[in-house]
Order: sequence, then C-alpha cells, then structure tokens
Amino acid sequence: MKISDSFKRSLWVFHFNSGSCNGCDIEIVGTLMPRYDPERFGIKLVGSPRHADVLLVTGPVVHAMADRLRRVYEQMPEPKVVISVGTCSQSGGVFFDSYNLDGPVSDIIPVDIYIPGCAPRPEAIIDGVVKAIAKLERLKGGEKHE
Amino acid sequence: MAFIETLSTGYGNWNPLFWTFAFVIALILGWIIWRSGESSYKRDTEQVKPYLSGNPEPEKGEVHIRAGNMYWGFTEALKGYYDILVPLHNGILTDYILWFLGVMAVMLIIVAGVF
Repeated sequence: MKISDSFKRSLWVFHFNSGSCNGCDIEIVGTLMPRYDPERFGIKLVGSPRHADVLLVTGPVVHAMADRLRRVYEQMPEPKVVISVGTCSQSGGVFFDSYNLDGPVSDIIPVDIYIPGCAPRPEAIIDGVVKAIAKLERLKGGEKHE
Repeated sequence: MAFIETLSTGYGNWNPLFWTFAFVIALILGWIIWRSGESSYKRDTEQVKPYLSGNPEPEKGEVHIRAGNMYWGFTEALKGYYDILVPLHNGILTDYILWFLGVMAVMLIIVAGVF
C-alpha cells in the first residue's frame, strides 16, 4: 500500500458514541494504549470533527443522538471516512428494531467501513483504520464518495 | 519632499516610507497565511459552524451572560421573597397607585388611629 499524503500528515480520528454500552469504546481506548500505540503512525483521537479525517461511530444511534450524529458528520471536512464499530452500530445488535432507535448508523450517514464484533478486538479496529487510509487515498485520488 | 523625511521627536523616529513598506510586508504575510488555508470547505453549511458536542448553535442572545447572572446566588437564596415581590412589579401605574392608597390607608389606621 502506498503511503498517502493523508497518512503523512497523520490520520486524525473523531470518536462518536451514539448510545453504545461502552464496550466498543473501551476497546477503542485499548487500541490507543501503548500495547498497540497507533499514535506512532500519527493516528490519534481529536476533540473536534472539524479536525478529523475519520469518524469512528459506536452504538446503535438512539433518537437523541441521530441529529447530533448527522451534524457532526456534516461538520467534518472532505475527504472523510466513516467507520462503524461494533455489532450495535451495524444492525442495532441486541437492541435490533427497538422503539428508541433511529439507527443503525448507515440509516443516518453513509458508512465506508464496518468493523463487526461485540465488542471488536483492537486488532480488528486497527485493520479497519488501515482500510480507512486506503479509502482516503482513493478519495484523494479523485474517487467520488459513494 | 518634506513629507517623506524622517521625523525625529527625541523619543523616536517616524518615516512614512518605512511605515508604508512595513504595511505592504504585513499585507503580503497576511495573504500568504490566508492562501495556505483550506479552501475546499463548503460555505453556508455545518462546516463553518462551531462544534458544540453535536448540538445546534444557539442564538447569540440565548448564550449571552447578563449582569443578573453575577448575583444569581443572592436571588436564589431569597427566592421566596422575590417570587412574591417580582409579580407585584407589573409596571401598571394604576396598580401602583392602588397599592399606595391601600398602604396609606393601613398606615393611617395604625399610626393616626383615624377610626
């Protein structure tokens, strides 16, 4: 895989919890710990979507979070990639078809990469981020967002 | 050409040519910084609005901190007193005159013993 401009400049990630049980969020924190240390490649969490290349979404998207998720996605600069982390964010998981869901995530915003699991292991999250880098390379190369 | 000569005041020097030159340099620097910015953002979208944890941006008037906020603790502590007193200050002059006459009547009864 070619090292892209976005990778050289560091891939900055914004984490959005749309109603998760925190299982996936704990795994994301585990991914950032020294055992895996993605920050040595410039991959790190940022505090604002305005600075982010990647939106990392956990949770099945409850009513209260749907508008907020939409707004956060719109505030991110182009090109951007959305990673859906965990079973809940992809199908609702154990909350499937629940009365208080607006999700899953793909019903609210376009998703590029799915990382399944309850909760997914850090290795799986890192694999998803590598796929996000490849996707950003293609987007920077002129490919249209699906 | 006196207008381009250096003026020495004893405390410093002033030269219009030097000032113009410095101004042009500042403009060029500003332009270089502006040019290096991200130009692909979309105007009139959420991309130009502040990030407030995903919440919509409130009206400016709603987030304005008024002088009343400075003594919030005072009004909160005397809430029982203010809850009664504030509605009485309704701004209707005839109501105020009624209160005045009422209080005066009571004072006359108590102090002067009219009846």
